[in-house]
Amino acid sequence: MKTQPIDDFNIHHVPRVIAGQNAISELSSLVLEMNLNRVVLVTDRFLQEKTDLPDRVKKALGNRCTGIYAGVETDASAPSVDRGAGYAQEENAQLLVSLGGGSTIDTAKGMAVVMSLGGTILDHEGYHNIEQSLIPHIAIPTTTGTGSEMTMVTVIKDPQRGQKTFIGSRHVLPDIAILDPTLVIDLPLGLTAATAMDAMSHAVESLFSTLCQPFSDAYALEAIRLISAYLPKCLHEPGNLEYRGKLLIAASLAGSAFSNAMVSLNHAMAHVIGAVHGIHHGTANAMLLPHTIRYFSEAADLALIKAANAMNIWTRTPPQENAGEKVAQWLEKFIQDIGLTKRLSDFGVKEEDLSNLADLALTDGAIVYSPKPDIEPEDIIQIYRQAL
Amino acid sequence: MAYDFPSEAWTQSYQAAINANPEYKKAAKSWTHGPIAFVVQKVPESGLEHDEAFILDLHQGECRSAWNTRDIEAAKRQPFCITAGYAQWKAVINKELDPIRGIMLGKLKLKGKLTVVVRYVKAAQLLVETAADVDTRFFDEKI
Repeated sequence: MKTQPIDDFNIHHVPRVIAGQNAISELSSLVLEMNLNRVVLVTDRFLQEKTDLPDRVKKALGNRCTGIYAGVETDASAPSVDRGAGYAQEENAQLLVSLGGGSTIDTAKGMAVVMSLGGTILDHEGYHNIEQSLIPHIAIPTTTGTGSEMTMVTVIKDPQRGQKTFIGSRHVLPDIAILDPTLVIDLPLGLTAATAMDAMSHAVESLFSTLCQPFSDAYALEAIRLISAYLPKCLHEPGNLEYRGKLLIAASLAGSAFSNAMVSLNHAMAHVIGAVHGIHHGTANAMLLPHTIRYFSEAADLALIKAANAMNIWTRTPPQENAGEKVAQWLEKFIQDIGLTKRLSDFGVKEEDLSNLADLALTDGAIVYSPKPDIEPEDIIQIYRQAL
Repeated sequence: MAYDFPSEAWTQSYQAAINANPEYKKAAKSWTHGPIAFVVQKVPESGLEHDEAFILDLHQGECRSAWNTRDIEAAKRQPFCITAGYAQWKAVINKELDPIRGIMLGKLKLKGKLTVVVRYVKAAQLLVETAADVDTRFFDEKI
């Protein structure tokens, strides 16, 4: 059994989290408390045109909402971030409120960087390289997976180079996250399951990341417990606000866990099949996670025993052996039960594709934090093959 | 002969050590992302009066040139710039702090694409191990 690394860590998290049914109604008093009068709401076109959510937030902000930027693009493209920052500066915004999924929240984080430091968003690529506070940002997620409202990174797509890039700093963290289950009540079931498995993967991978630490472990374990207990209930009774709220909290906890401890091989592999075969990120993570866990069962045995406890796998005799296999088996059944039954071959992935996918996964940054230092292409091919 | 860190002589010795390391050459053979600047922040109370940078022009497993500068703005204009305090660099050179871990923990501040750096984790580790091969005298250890 491996021992835990010597504690050597920093912990960064969102200073204030407000959760509850209709928690967005607190926006007005929050803005008053912050003594800010000009607020720009950042959202995407779908939410603006197809839902009443932006109107609800606008109403909660009252006359302090001076404008809406609905130009968010998928994967938070750099030009859309720069345009948003320009718009908010014209509006003399003192506060950004983001409403949406990961792309929207990441766009607002990027806008805060540009508004506070100048230049374009790509001028600020780096990690822990921002040394001053940014314009305040309140993040309100409308999905239950990415956890972006809790992370200190904004992932920006540079369409010119066809690459994603990171800007990470504790100053990028939103100042407040509002977790309101009424905003996620209409999330379709398939998306609820897939995004929750993204969060599950964030939590499990952060547990066995080489950057794991006690605080992120605590967040991750509670996230695993909540997803294990409430995702099936939520899918059975999607209108139940309590269950929706638990998943929202779980996604945020998992976001905080991986913001501090990172993810590893599973996400690296999921990124690749997402990019090459267009497989939804959460679905990709779900398909691969049991097999990745088997691969790391020896290297990450201590973390996997903790995960098994959080999943409530053993109620009578907690065996200390083969935890990885037991977690993998439990997850396979769990994933089947929540309706994510597809395999890689259902998305057109073929045996002859695996070598190229493995090579790409080896160049994905997330792989760096894996508990096993030397991962060979054949190991990755084998994991993909098990999910074929 | 021990070289003071950070000094031009140390940097030149480091460049020679990098170019003599076949493992680094192999691990970094696809590196075409340009020079990396390393900024050592001043510690006036201990005798390091100025911020000092050393820049390595790394390309396809070779260090084509290396130099020191006190023009920190010029260092920051390189494609990658890593900034840290003297104690952190000392820990890195002494292999007590993994550079990627240091970046993630905020002990080293990276300007540039993290996604590129983490793709070359093996090369980064070998680069650091090579620094440990340079006979280094740290100014706080001078008698």
